Amino acid sequence: MISKKLAIDVLNEALRSGADYAEIFYEDSTAYSVEIENNKVERSSSNSTQGVGIRLLRGNESVYGYTNDLTRKGLIGLAGSLANRFNGERVLSVEDLTQIRAKNRNPVVHSYDDVSKEDKIALIREGTQAIADLGDPRIVRYTGTFLNNHRFVAVFNSKGKWFKRDSEFGRMMYQVIAADQNGFESAYEGPGAQQDISYFRTKVTPKDTALKAANKALLMLTAAECPSGRMPVVIGNGWGGVLFHEACGHPLEASAIAKGLSCFNGMYGKPIASKVVSAVDDSTIPGAWGSIDIDDEGNLGSKRQLIKDGILVDYMVDDFNGRRMGREGNGACRRQNYRYCPTSRMSNTYIENGKSTKEEIIAATKLGLYAVGFNGGSVDPTTGEFNFGCSEAYIIRDGKICEPVKGATLIGKGNEILQKIDMVANDLELGQGMCGAASGSIRTNVGQPTLRVSEITVGGRGGELKL
Amino acid sequence: MKYDLFFKMAKEAGLEEAELYINRSTSLSFQLFHGEVVAYENNDSQNVYARGLLHGKAGAASCDTFSKEKCAYLVKEIVQNAKVIENEDPIVIFEGSPRYKKVSSFNKALHDIPFQTKLDKMHKLEAAIKAGDPRIVEVEAVAYSESSEEVLLLNSKGLDLHSKSNYFVTYGAAVAQENGQVKSNYEMKFGNDFDELDEEELARKVVENTVAQLGGEPCESGKYKTVLAPSVVASLLKVFCNYASAEEVQKKSSLLIGKLGQKVASSKVTIEDRPLDKSLFARWFDDEGVATSNKPIVKNGVLNTYLYNLTTAAKEGVQSTGNGYRRGSSVGVSSPYLVLRPGKKSQEELFAEVGDGVYITEVQGLHAGLNPQSGNFSLQSTGFLIKDGKKDRALDIVTVSGNLLSLFGDVIAVGSDSKSLPSGVCCPSVVVRKLGVSGK
Repeated sequence: MISKKLAIDVLNEALRSGADYAEIFYEDSTAYSVEIENNKVERSSSNSTQGVGIRLLRGNESVYGYTNDLTRKGLIGLAGSLANRFNGERVLSVEDLTQIRAKNRNPVVHSYDDVSKEDKIALIREGTQAIADLGDPRIVRYTGTFLNNHRFVAVFNSKGKWFKRDSEFGRMMYQVIAADQNGFESAYEGPGAQQDISYFRTKVTPKDTALKAANKALLMLTAAECPSGRMPVVIGNGWGGVLFHEACGHPLEASAIAKGLSCFNGMYGKPIASKVVSAVDDSTIPGAWGSIDIDDEGNLGSKRQLIKDGILVDYMVDDFNGRRMGREGNGACRRQNYRYCPTSRMSNTYIENGKSTKEEIIAATKLGLYAVGFNGGSVDPTTGEFNFGCSEAYIIRDGKICEPVKGATLIGKGNEILQKIDMVANDLELGQGMCGAASGSIRTNVGQPTLRVSEITVGGRGGELKL
Repeated sequence: MKYDLFFKMAKEAGLEEAELYINRSTSLSFQLFHGEVVAYENNDSQNVYARGLLHGKAGAASCDTFSKEKCAYLVKEIVQNAKVIENEDPIVIFEGSPRYKKVSSFNKALHDIPFQTKLDKMHKLEAAIKAGDPRIVEVEAVAYSESSEEVLLLNSKGLDLHSKSNYFVTYGAAVAQENGQVKSNYEMKFGNDFDELDEEELARKVVENTVAQLGGEPCESGKYKTVLAPSVVASLLKVFCNYASAEEVQKKSSLLIGKLGQKVASSKVTIEDRPLDKSLFARWFDDEGVATSNKPIVKNGVLNTYLYNLTTAAKEGVQSTGNGYRRGSSVGVSSPYLVLRPGKKSQEELFAEVGDGVYITEVQGLHAGLNPQSGNFSLQSTGFLIKDGKKDRALDIVTVSGNLLSLFGDVIAVGSDSKSLPSGVCCPSVVVRKLGVSGK
C-alpha cells in the first residue's frame, strides 16, 4: 500500500506541468484457479498482481503510465516522466487527501483466502463427478474450473480524495466436449458472483451446472444445422441479454458518445427502441457479478436508466469522457487492472421486465427461431453493426417449440434491431460474462426477460427455414 | 543475481526442479483525435511465471513485482499447488537443446527515433485520411504504439536463455457516410523499421477500405464461390492449425485425430510453422527452452506432423517440436508464426477465375460465431460481390458459414498477395469452391 504522504508527493509531481487532474491507482490482488479435467486435477495456479497506474488529464488529453516499481523513486519517476508530456505551469496542487467511503453492497463474509484449495477442488469435483457418472461414451473431454479473485484497490486523486475498494469474487465453469460419428460439439456454463463459496452450494450447484453443460453438448450432437435468412427470433432470458449488451450497451458508453462516434449520437430524449423496451445499467445489485460500490474515479455506483419506454434517457459516463459531454461521470469508470487506462464501461446491464409471458410470445410466433444459449458477440459502436452466436436454439412452428438446431449467428444494426423488439416477457434473469474493450476485460452481467425480435438476419448452414 | 534467491528457496522447500519464465516489456503509445493527443501511455512492466516439481507434479504461480517477499509467495504457492495435482502427465524442466539457431527480431533504431518524429507522422496520417475523400466524415482514431519485449527463461538445470524483440503498430480508422448509410473501417501497419511506415499509403488504404463499403446491400442468401482476403484466411487458419496440436489430439478433441500422413486439405494448401524466419514473430527457443525449427504442418494438403511441447512429446515417446508456448500459468502447444504458402495468381486473376461470387474482406466475432470443436462457423462478414470476373458492389453485413475442414478442403486457388498479420500468420487470398452466405 502507498502512504498518504507518498501519494500527495506523487500527485504533486504529476501536476507540475499543467495537468488539471492526476490520479494514482494502486492495486494488490491475488487470484487462484484450479482445473479438473476428466475428473483429475490437472492445473492449480496462483497469481499475485501488484502495480500502480498513474493518470494525468489536461482538457481533453489523457496521459497514462504504469509500473511495478512501487518505491518512492519509481513512482515519482513515473509521475515525472508522464508530466513531461505537458509543458505548462502548475495549475493545481494537493495539500491533503480525505477518504471517501462507499457502502459495501458486495461483502464476502467468508473470504476465499480462508478456504483451502482442497475445499475448492471438492466443490468443483461434485460437477465433474456428475459428468463422469453419466457414463456417456460420447463425452470425450470435460473440464471443471474454479477461480477466485481477491482484489484490493486504492485510488488517490487531485480532487483531494482517496478511497479503497476491497472485493472478492468466485466463479465455477464447466466445459464439455462430446463427439459422435458426425463430429464434435461443445457446451459451457459459468456462473459467478461477488459472494462467498456458499453461493455455489445454494444459488447454483456444481452438479446442476455441470450436467446442464453436458446435456447441452449431447443435445447439440443430435441437432440439425440452423436455417439461414431473415426471420422472427424469440431470444431466451438471461444470457440472451448479450444482444442488448452488444447492440446497444457499447454504443451508449461515453467512450463512443463523447466523440460523436456512436450510432446513437443525437438521439438523446428521442425513441431509439420500441415502446416495450426499457433498459438499465445497475452497478448496485448486491453481490452481483458486475456490481461496483465506487468506480475508478471515486464516483459511487448507481442504477442508470438508459432507455425508458423506448426513449434514450442516459449513458454510461466517466468523468474524462464527460468533459466533452459537459457533464460529470455517473459511476461507470472501470478497468481490468492497473495496466489499463480506465474508461466508461457497463456493469449489470439488462432489459427490464415487460408485460407478456414467455408462453404468450412462443404461442404468438408462427414460424421462427427460439434462441436460448449464447456464446457472446461483438459490435462496432459507430455503425451499430453487431453479431452474436447461439449455442442452443430451436425452431418454432405454429406457436410451439420444435426440433433443436445449432450454429446460428444473429447479425444486425443496433439502432434498427431495438425498434424491432415487439414483445417482452416478465422472466428477467442475468448471465455472467467477461466484456473486453479499451480498458481491458471486466466482469459484466448481461440480462433480459424472454423477448421477440420481429425480424433479424440469422446465419446458419441449414438453408431456408420451412414450416 | 536477483533470481538466484528464488531457486535457493525452491530447493529449501523441497522442490526437485524449478523454473522462471520472465517477460519484461516497455511500451509507448499515443492516439490522436481532431489533431489532439487524446491519449498517451508510457509503460514498464513484467510478468514472472514460476513452476516447480514436487514428487514429479508441477505447481505454478505468477506475479509481476519481484522481491524477497514475492519469492517466498511463489515457492509457497508452488508447493501447495503441486500437492493437489492428480494428473500424471510428465512435466519436464528442460536442460536445453544441443544447438540453437539464433534469430533476432530487435531493431534498436526504432527506439532512437524521437517522439516528435513519430507524432508528426501521425498528424500527417490523420490529415491525409480526412482529406482523402469527401465522404469521410470523421477520423475515428489515429494511433501509434511501440513495444519492446524481453523473454528470460531460467531453470534449476542451469538453462539461461534470453531473447529480445520490438515492434510498432500504427493504425487509422475512419467513418464514411453517404445517403444515410454509415460505415467505419481501418487499416494498420506494423513492423520494426520505422522508415517503412508510409503514412500517405496507409491513409489511402484507410480511406479506400472505408468508402468502398458505402452503397452496399446484402446479397441473396445462397452458396457462393468465394475469395477470402488474407486477414480472413489468417483468422480461420489459426484455429485450423490448433487441430494439429498434439495436446488436442491426445485429449481426443481434435478434428485431425488419426490423420497423420493423410489428406486434410486441398493439395493447394501448404501450411508451415516458421519461427526461424526473419519476422517480428521470430523465436529461436520456445517457452520451455526447446530449440525451434521451420517445418511444414500441412504439405500439399497432407498432414505432415502434429505439434508437440515437452509434455505431449514425452507421453508419446517422441521429441518436442519446439511448440511449447505459454497460455498464462501453463504451457500449451501453438506456433508463433504460421505461413500459408502463396500461389502465383494476383487478386485480380483470382476474381477472374471466380467469375461470379463473393469477396469477403472481413469477419467479426470469431469467439462467438466459430465453434472450435466442430469447426463449424457462421460469422458476421463484409465484402463485395464478384461479377463477370471483377470486384463489384459492396455487401452490407451478411454472415458467411461453413466448416473449417471443408473450407480448407475446398480451396481451389491460392493468391500471390501474401500479407503478414499481427496475429502471427502470413497468408495470401484464397478461393473456396463454395461457402454459405446469409443476406436477404
